[in-house]
Formats: sequence, C-alpha cells, structure tokens
Amino acid sequence: MGATLDNTADVDTPELVRFRYRVAGPVRRALAYLVDLAIRAASLALLYVVVALASGGGKRFSSGVMLIAAFVFEWGYYVYFETAGDGRSPGKRALALRVVKEGGFPIGFIDSVLRNLLRGADFLPVGYVLGVLTMAGDARFRRIGDRVAGTLVVIEARAGLASPLVLSPPVTADEVAGFPPRPPLSLSERETLELFLRRTELTAARREELAETIAPALAERMGVKVQDPVRFLALVHHRATSGAPVQRS
Amino acid sequence: MRTQDGFVAARRTDWEELQGLLDRGKALCRLPPISIARAAALYRAVCGDLVHAQSAGYSREVIAWLDDLAARAHNALYSAPPYRVGAIWDLIARDFPRALRRHARFFLLGVALFVLPGLLGFAGAFHSRAFALQILSPDTVAQMEKAYAAGFGQGRSGDLNAAMAGFYVYNNIGIAFRCFATGALFGIGSLFFLIYNGLVTGAVAGLVTVGGHGRNLFTFTCTHGAFELTAIVISATAGMVMGYALVDTKGRTRFGSLRACSRDVALLVLGAALMLLVAAAIEGFWSPSAAPDRIKWGASVAAYLAVATYLTRAGRARPKPEASRP
Repeated sequence: MGATLDNTADVDTPELVRFRYRVAGPVRRALAYLVDLAIRAASLALLYVVVALASGGGKRFSSGVMLIAAFVFEWGYYVYFETAGDGRSPGKRALALRVVKEGGFPIGFIDSVLRNLLRGADFLPVGYVLGVLTMAGDARFRRIGDRVAGTLVVIEARAGLASPLVLSPPVTADEVAGFPPRPPLSLSERETLELFLRRTELTAARREELAETIAPALAERMGVKVQDPVRFLALVHHRATSGAPVQRS
Repeated sequence: MRTQDGFVAARRTDWEELQGLLDRGKALCRLPPISIARAAALYRAVCGDLVHAQSAGYSREVIAWLDDLAARAHNALYSAPPYRVGAIWDLIARDFPRALRRHARFFLLGVALFVLPGLLGFAGAFHSRAFALQILSPDTVAQMEKAYAAGFGQGRSGDLNAAMAGFYVYNNIGIAFRCFATGALFGIGSLFFLIYNGLVTGAVAGLVTVGGHGRNLFTFTCTHGAFELTAIVISATAGMVMGYALVDTKGRTRFGSLRACSRDVALLVLGAALMLLVAAAIEGFWSPSAAPDRIKWGASVAAYLAVATYLTRAGRARPKPEASRP
C-alpha cells in the first residue's frame, strides 16, 4: 500500500494475517467524552428527581443515595459500558469508537478499571491536559491510562462496500483499440483514478480540467491518442481493473 | 488473475453472512455451536481474502472493508473469558492479599509516610494552634471542633447515617482513587497525598484533643480507621508501584515497565476500594452509634487484628505435609 501517513495500527493475528485499525485522535475522543458527560449529567439529574419524589422529602436519605449514585457514575460508568458493551460507552458508540487491547482483542474488566481510574492522572492539571500531551507523543494516541492498560481507541470504519464502477456508455472495441492488455499503472495511480472516477459531484468542466492534468502523460506512456480525457481515464481504469477480454476487430 | 470486481462478486455473500453473524454483537457465544463454527470458518476465509486483496493490489476501499470485517470478527472470536461472579471471591480470598504481599516494601514505606507526618501533625497542633492553622483552613478548624464537641452519646439518626455513608463512599473512595492515579507521575502524586493526608489527619486529631474532645474523636474513628486508613495506604502503594516501575524499568521501555506491573496495581486498587466500602458502612452506621466506649475500643482492636490477619495470611498456600525422607 506504500508508505502511509495515516494513523493506523497494524495487528498480527494467529492466522498470520495483518489487518489495520484506524486509531482515533484526541478531537474525536473528546467529542465522545462530551457525549458521555452529557449522558451522565442527565441521568444523575433524572435520578435526583426520582429519588426526591420517592423519599417524600427525606432530604438526608436522598442525599446519601445521590452521593453513592454520583460515585458510581463518576468511576463505574465507563468500566460498566466498556466491559459489558464490548469496548464502547454510549459516547464512543455515537462516534463509532471502540476500545481494544493492543493485539486487537476485546478489552477485559481489569484493563477497563485501569484505563478509567487513571483518568485521575490524565485529567491533571485540568481538563485532560496531561492526557492530550501524552497522546501527542504517541503514534497510536494512547493516553496514560491506555498505556498502563495496554489499550487503544480505534475508529470502526463501517463504510459499506461500494458498488463497482460501471462505464456508461459501455466500452466499445474501437475506443480501446491500441490499448495494451494491461495498462502500465502503478497501484497508487490506479487508486488515484478510482478516487477521481468516484467523485461524481464535480462539475463536468472541473472533471475535464483535472483529467487533462494526467491523461496526456498516461496516453504517452501507453502510446495512444486522447480524444476525451475523462472518458480516457475511465477506459484506462476499466481496462486495469476488469481486464475484460479484448475483442480485436 | 482474478479481477477485483469478479473477486468481490464471488466472495460478497460470504462476507455478508459473516457480517450478519457479527451484527448480533455480544450474543456470538450464545449462538448455536454450528453458527460459531461457521463464523470461525468465514473469518479464516476473510483473512485469506484480505491477503489476496492486498497482494493483488485491489482498491483501498475493498481492503479497508475487509480489514474492518476481519478486525471485528477477530475481536468477537478471540473474546475475553466471560465474567464470573466468582472472580470477586478470588480477588478477596487470594489475589488481593497476595498482590499486597508482593509489594510489602512499598506498603511499609506508605505506612511510614502516613504515620510519621500524622504524628508530626498531631504533636504540632497539640502544642500550637498557629501550627494547626498553617495546615488547616480556619473553616475546617471551626467545623471539626464543632463536629466532635457533642460526641455520640445519643447516637445519630438513621437517615443522617445513610447520608454520611453516601458521603464517605463518594469522598473517601474518590480520594483513594486519585491517590492511586497520580502515582503514574513517577509516584509523586501518591507520595504527596499520603504525606498531606497524614499531616491533616494528625493536625485535626491534635486540635480536637487539645480542645478536650479527643475521646469523642477517637472512639468515633477507631473502628473504621482500621479499614479506611489501611486502604488509603494501599491505594498509595499501588501508585508507588507504578511510579517505581517508571524509574526502575528492568530493561524495558518506561511504559512497557508500567504494563508489566499493571495487573498487580489493578488488584491493589480494587482491593482497597472494597475495603473502603466496608469502612464507609462502618463509619456510617457503627462508628456514630451510642455503644459504650469500651465496646468501641474492643471493636477497634478486633478490626485491626482482622485486617492484619487477612492481609498477611489470606491466600497463602496450605503448608504441604512434610515429605518423609528415608
């Protein structure tokens, strides 16, 4: 795939397959934190009303219950959801994040306890400053709690599988006359073409303008002539990926 | 060579079947065995597809999709062992006291760093009110003197007990957790919290004693202190273990060294939290009761003995019968 500047983490499996995770950065995680914070605050407020009504004005009793609830929400919320919800608190779920062990395994109870109690250190001196600084010094964006527990927060890319690119109108033999059976394209060039061809929201003029920057060079390499640059790129891509049998007429 | 579109078309149904199995989420382990076996087979097939897609140079989008599918399946199939209620019992009966004994040196250091400043605070406040005011705010002083002036001869009402128990859970366990967490900064936070808490506790005790209400204070605190003070020192011990792991890495990277001690550290903190729950219950309901002083002192001695016995004896392997030698 060539060198990547992306924030990815490779995981080697016992099947000798390597897959990669997209690691979540501080902003996305901060947003998830805010969602969780709002959920916790709202639940506590709701609980307060319920307890106050149920205890019929027994102020002291209800304050005891509320303090225990506040404790549970402050320290137990993440541990509960991360272990019971497969590494996802409601806020993480909302932002498609998941906590996993470094080997791609699900997070366990002890790991979750560690990474969440250590929020006490990451929070210092105020507002997770130390946590963000620690993340900045790590290619996998791990805060102190993550490093001690051996976990990382990844983005679950749940993009659907796009349908294959279809040429319209279909290829005619005349158009591809003189094309080599396998166009001399590097991988990244082919990916560039695909990205370009999938970007249908561009105006026709802009597409043409973009296509003109690359089509002549490609044509020269393949030893053919270009009439319509956009169509030409589509044809090259089609030939490179589908490998449809060439009908020589 | 197979083309990308042909490959996707041929394999797509398998991928979608696996996705369907995974979308049931946590329930994978509760599916019928045949489905689990099917998921495992599909996962291995997807692994093969991923390698094929990578080597054949298919588009990044297809590879990303397979990556995600493989990662999710891996996560589901190699899941952690299910949680058992028995694990809590293991923690109490065995793992926690053993972990503490492994780090006994830090625990003893913690005791010293708590008790010595405590004695200093006590002596200072006993002899000089100005000293106490250096450590405590005037509000705290007034509040403490008022709180222990009356004593608990009449006991305390039940709903106030409940409120205070809640406060002890929120406040004390919170302090213990922070005392632990700040140990990640080379142990400095834990050391600070220990010394500071020792000094403050001692100063309050000295102040109340010189005011003539020492009996009220000590009969109130003597029983739950066995659990509470010990647990605070234990959570600081966990912090010190972390801090020391950052200093003496034994040839690992600093964070690798932290990782290596992380299980022990977690066991210590969880054990301390359980002890603090016990302490909060005692402090909320027994300590302020109207029981006579002698009984409270007796309970205190029993509590300290129980804690000491538990921490030193629990989870030790039974001595093996002497092997008879010829």
